[in-house]
Amino acid sequence: MSFNKPKFAHPRLPKNEAGYTRKYYEGSLSTLCAGCGHDSISAAIVDACFEMNIEPHKVAKLSGIGCSSKTPAYYLSNSHGFNSVHGRMPSVTTGANLANRSLTYLGVSGDGDTASIGMGQFIHAVRRNLNMTYIVMNNGCYGLTKGQDSATADYGSVSKSGHMNTFEGIDLCALAIQLGATYVAQSFSGDKHQLIPLIKGALAHSGFSFINVVSPCVTFNNNQGSTKSYDYVREHNEAVSSLDFVPVKEEISASYEHSVVTPIEMHDGSVMQFHKLSPKWNPEDKLSVLSALITAKDKFEILTGLLYFDKESKELHEMLNTTDTPLNQLTEKELNPGNEILSKINASHR
Amino acid sequence: MGRTCDRPCEPACRRGRVEEEPVAICRLKRVAADFKDDITHLLPDIPKIKNGKKIALIGGGPASLTVARDLAPLGYEIHLYDNHNKGGGMMRSQIPAFRLPAEVLDQEVNYVLDMDIVTHFNTYVKSLASVLDQGYDAVFVGTGAPKGKNLEIPGRNEGGSNIHIGIEWLASVAFEHTSSIGKRVIVLGGGNTAMDCCRTSRRLGGEDVKVVVRSPFSEMKASPWEKEDAMHEDIPILDNHVPKSFVVENGRLQGMMFEKVQAVYKDGKRKLVPTGEAEVFIPADDVIIAVGQENKFEWIERDLGVEFDKWDMPVINSTSFASTRPGVFFGGDAALGPKNVITAVAQGHQAAVSIDLYCNGQDVNDRPAPNVKLFSTKMGIHEWSYDNDVTVDQRYIVPQADKSITLRDRKKEVELGFDLKTAFKEAQRCLNCDVQTVFTEINCIECDACMDICPTNCITFTQNEDDENDLRMKLLVPAINNTQDILVSDSLKTGRVMVKDEDMCLHCGLCAERCPTSAWDMKQFTYNTAKAGSLSFV
Amino acid sequence: MHGVNDFVVKFANVNGTGSASANFLFAKAIFRMGVPVSAKNIFPSNIQGLPTWYEVRVSEKGYLGRKEGIDLMVSVNPQSFKSDIASVKSGGYFLYDSTKKLHEEFLREDIHFIGIPLMELCNEAFTDPRQKQLFKNIVYVGALAKLLNLDLTTIEGLFAEQFKGKEKLIIPNMKALKLGSDYVESHFSYPLEFYVEKRDLTKNKIMIDGNAAAALGAVYGGATVVSWYPITPSTSLVSSFEKYAQKMRLDPVTGKNNYSVVQAEDELAAIGMAIGANWNGARSFTATSGAGISLMNEFLGLAFYSEIPLVLVDVQRGGPSTGMPTRTQQSDLTTCAYASHGDTKHVMLFPSTPNECFHMMADAFDYTEMLQTPVIVMSDLDLGMNDHVTDPFIWDDNRKFKRGKVLSSEQLNTMTNWGRYLDVDGDGVPYRTIPGTHPTKGSYFTRGSSHDEYARYSEDSDTYKRIVDRIAVKFETAKKIIPGPELFQTSDTSDKALLFFGTTTDSALEAIDTLRNDGFSIDGIRIKSFPFSSEVDHFIQSHKEVYVVEQNKFGQMRSLLINELNIDPHKLISVVHYDGTPITAESIISQVHKHVFLPTN
Repeated sequence: MSFNKPKFAHPRLPKNEAGYTRKYYEGSLSTLCAGCGHDSISAAIVDACFEMNIEPHKVAKLSGIGCSSKTPAYYLSNSHGFNSVHGRMPSVTTGANLANRSLTYLGVSGDGDTASIGMGQFIHAVRRNLNMTYIVMNNGCYGLTKGQDSATADYGSVSKSGHMNTFEGIDLCALAIQLGATYVAQSFSGDKHQLIPLIKGALAHSGFSFINVVSPCVTFNNNQGSTKSYDYVREHNEAVSSLDFVPVKEEISASYEHSVVTPIEMHDGSVMQFHKLSPKWNPEDKLSVLSALITAKDKFEILTGLLYFDKESKELHEMLNTTDTPLNQLTEKELNPGNEILSKINASHR
Repeated sequence: MGRTCDRPCEPACRRGRVEEEPVAICRLKRVAADFKDDITHLLPDIPKIKNGKKIALIGGGPASLTVARDLAPLGYEIHLYDNHNKGGGMMRSQIPAFRLPAEVLDQEVNYVLDMDIVTHFNTYVKSLASVLDQGYDAVFVGTGAPKGKNLEIPGRNEGGSNIHIGIEWLASVAFEHTSSIGKRVIVLGGGNTAMDCCRTSRRLGGEDVKVVVRSPFSEMKASPWEKEDAMHEDIPILDNHVPKSFVVENGRLQGMMFEKVQAVYKDGKRKLVPTGEAEVFIPADDVIIAVGQENKFEWIERDLGVEFDKWDMPVINSTSFASTRPGVFFGGDAALGPKNVITAVAQGHQAAVSIDLYCNGQDVNDRPAPNVKLFSTKMGIHEWSYDNDVTVDQRYIVPQADKSITLRDRKKEVELGFDLKTAFKEAQRCLNCDVQTVFTEINCIECDACMDICPTNCITFTQNEDDENDLRMKLLVPAINNTQDILVSDSLKTGRVMVKDEDMCLHCGLCAERCPTSAWDMKQFTYNTAKAGSLSFV
Repeated sequence: MHGVNDFVVKFANVNGTGSASANFLFAKAIFRMGVPVSAKNIFPSNIQGLPTWYEVRVSEKGYLGRKEGIDLMVSVNPQSFKSDIASVKSGGYFLYDSTKKLHEEFLREDIHFIGIPLMELCNEAFTDPRQKQLFKNIVYVGALAKLLNLDLTTIEGLFAEQFKGKEKLIIPNMKALKLGSDYVESHFSYPLEFYVEKRDLTKNKIMIDGNAAAALGAVYGGATVVSWYPITPSTSLVSSFEKYAQKMRLDPVTGKNNYSVVQAEDELAAIGMAIGANWNGARSFTATSGAGISLMNEFLGLAFYSEIPLVLVDVQRGGPSTGMPTRTQQSDLTTCAYASHGDTKHVMLFPSTPNECFHMMADAFDYTEMLQTPVIVMSDLDLGMNDHVTDPFIWDDNRKFKRGKVLSSEQLNTMTNWGRYLDVDGDGVPYRTIPGTHPTKGSYFTRGSSHDEYARYSEDSDTYKRIVDRIAVKFETAKKIIPGPELFQTSDTSDKALLFFGTTTDSALEAIDTLRNDGFSIDGIRIKSFPFSSEVDHFIQSHKEVYVVEQNKFGQMRSLLINELNIDPHKLISVVHYDGTPITAESIISQVHKHVFLPTN
């Protein structure tokens, strides 16, 4: 490759409370197609982590296989990363999380990686309420194998080659809500203003946070007739809520006048200022959210914003009653019962 | 030649914004000059048959030589007058050989003189009228600022034989009339001439050489590198010392008395206030006064139509360099007061344009436009026709000859210049100002890829603001350098605008690289100043 | 008949009737009387209603492999009467529930029939239908006790242990035991010509199944994250782990768990979780069988290539495909040795006793972290699910976990050129870091795609080769770490040898003894691990013929030996047994004889 990302940073780049500049949260240069929506999501992740003062080494970033799953290389280069196998990111993340509950787990996946080959692992991670942020970079097609329809391609969407999809698309948000995800959001890669606070909220949430981000594939699915193109999504985007994320320790400044603002206190003490744009629907009521999603679909609208939130979320470790110390930090002292107990066990087998 | 330039370009270099030091443009020019092959075939052909116009150049320094270089290829018959026996002017008489070796100067001067220039050396022009009488179509005055300022304080006359005027003394050394100086030398003044004087003194037998200057060190006029070079040669610089008197005993100079002062700033103006301490005596065998220089125009008759202002300086148009008398042009230090060589060259070019216009019966104020071109550098994916691999790389240091050698030989050049390898590395520090980021609104799909990728965060997509300052402050990194324009696009599809702050742009091309629709392009910009003769091609 | 302390009793039951615990009671009683015993459950892939068998071999000589020929068949399952009766050796006994008369067509002239009205006795003594069913089993144990001279107090003692805390259950159990015993006393002559006599031969031994032992080994080895998907016969390993952990792994202050067990959605997820946990610095394992291994292939390749520790227990069963889920085989050797696509290889350990299950399991965590590659513990159904007489477990309290090359924050501070896949020590094992260790150093990107020494993606051919070649070096290092073979040689070294591993060991050793007693000189070697050490190579090279004993059809161990050690295939003679039951010494001997006496040109 004849181009590299210069190491230069703007000399006046501000530092966050953790003492790092935004640049410190970046990764290596993307090898995705120019203009890929995934790159915008990567950038939103960088912004969210920077603004939340997250220490990069306290984050583990994981992925499966596919265009989306390449992205962890493009953000948080000072975090450990794991590019696992196709559709299996949830299980690797589950194991990693069990080993150390004190880190932040950020998994990214694509529509193929989640809704097809990885559907099994995805839904089980959801129902276990694994404490992780799960972002699907959803472009409705298989980019790496040159643009086949994926399981989230909408019925009637026309591919670049002119072929119309005749199968029903899987609505990942509706699915996640049904299976018990405790934080479900939908957004668009081209709207960082909305996406960044959603990622921040997801990272702060204790439990399974799911964000489905419609992310146009500029090479294979940004054509006329596609329902996941920049133009289509911009025209059909129906923001149902907006969100201000207020980190721990910061003053909350209410800025909304015309509609209901709900402050939601997060597990870590931070607060989400939740700004609801529709009176017909309650983000803490699954039924109303699911009905809103179905209605929107009929109207060819894409509902975006924080769709569902469960304040009572109990994450996997709480259900397993795991000890507070990360399991990977326990030593012989805590783990090995010793020979005396062993001789008692021997005695019981004589 | 890359040796004596005052480097006005380097402070503008963007490398100096992202790192501390700009690209060593001046020294890279020297590399080009040092390593050149025979270039004579590249020089313009000089018409054997002249165009019938005769031009007189008074003074053989950089300004006149530039006029000669621009006009000779157009067929002008050029007559150059100088009181010395060689061309070069102050470059020869005032810049010491250890900074600018005579052979380098000779070569450069001869490139011009060999353009069929009729030289009148050892000719001191005493009267402009007499020149005008000879029927020249135009006269160019490039006589510089040949008079060193004196310092009329007590003891000046008594100690006269050991008190020298800087530029005169330098010229006397250059033309080998002077070859020694006392062991203890005081150089008065804080400009580059003072630096040349003190360093020359070290080479002529001065062992205890000091520079004594009125102003604080940081405000001295000398280029920082000149000061460094002097100090490197064990020459202390004593600042905040105002000369009070020369101490002369038994008709022999013993030294000088100085008053210690400090700088006080009020309403943006500096004032040197005595500290009240007792005057300081600094012993010296010789004192060199290098406190400035001025023009000398007693040879120009005041009835020729060349107007002079209240400071007895000719009234000159700063664009055309025409005087108030048609056909008489000025340039270099003679025009707008003492500056530096590169300014003299620039003024010479402009004067040449004016002379050419004048001789063709055109209005000298109707200047030809520069030649500008803009073309894409994109060759393919990840491939650009310029080197865009921007790396963090500090400015390379130009090696110097050992002091033990240079101090013994006045003509031994101190700076050795870059070798080719280092020069190449230094050149790679260039951030390609010539390759511009060009944004085409209609192509943009607002995927934000350029904003995300920019290593220095200089691209922002945002809602426009009525007040530019408000807009500047809401960029990803606020654009606080108001001397640098920001690029604001037209309104895009979503109603936002693209704003680019050029201040820290590396011209790495990543925005264009990551742009799916070629809304960004990296375009090479060429700019050629209009030179004399451009008219013929319009 | 053999007489004292040398016979085989086989039980034929219906699955789901609680017979297994009664049968184990019988075997355990013999073990308590100081006589070596082996008990093998032969059960169907079914919860209720299909035939199930339980074989108990009593051997004063300590031969604990399975033995052919049934001396006494206890049948409480009319479904299998015909074959059960046929399987009794001539002169043997057939004990059955005579509540219903035995059909004449089943009768055999050459064996003895002992009819005891088990159901009738229970119906008279108990009222609860479930109890009637369960105690029928205890009644026949009581009858056997009388027939075979078992000590009733020993059995009573076992009841006392079994029902500790539920003492009221001891009385009905003793009642049922007495019913059987009394019935024999009043109806038959006893003991039979073969019976049990007290000895002191099992002193200091314990009786436990391999899965429980391995589970305990995992507790002692420091496993904290266990993920699994239920599959026979590995299921009981994880349930045993959970049972032990619930007792031994609670935080003394908070009572919270110093472990976690997650039942995954499938084997893919199970191994994925174990890999994720090991990557993140916890000791983690998963256990599986049969199809589970096939499903885990992809992830094994990832762990191999990205060099993540992983302990995997394969409790082998009869394959291929679903195969015989409740029968035993050693038929996953080649698939485990080279599991996953591309050039892969994995470390395998072959325990042959529950004691080894315990130690090898604990050691496996050290090995996998020292080598940064998966270690597969190759157990099987026979070892894992049957109770075996084995040496007791001993743990050195000074022993520390060997975590291998894991860099601490302090070490990272002193390093200038760390690369995740740099071979610093020349042993092929690089240094790894755990997420969260250091704020600015040691982060890297784990991937299953080709990478360079600094974990960066690379498709460069030379780089790819360098990494793969270096990983191969690890397997040379492995040979120095993992256990070498156990040799069984007489002073006059034979030019023939038996090679065996895992659960063929008992029968192989018995076969060697028998052959030697018959004047046939033969050596033995027990393989404990893969890749094979030079000792294995040397042993095989120094023998003319090596009989490779294994429980699969195609001679998988033989293939591995040929492949890995470049051995002349003619030298290795397959001795295989693959019907799903454990191999017997008789089978080994007859196959050796067949080869030895084969006419040669």
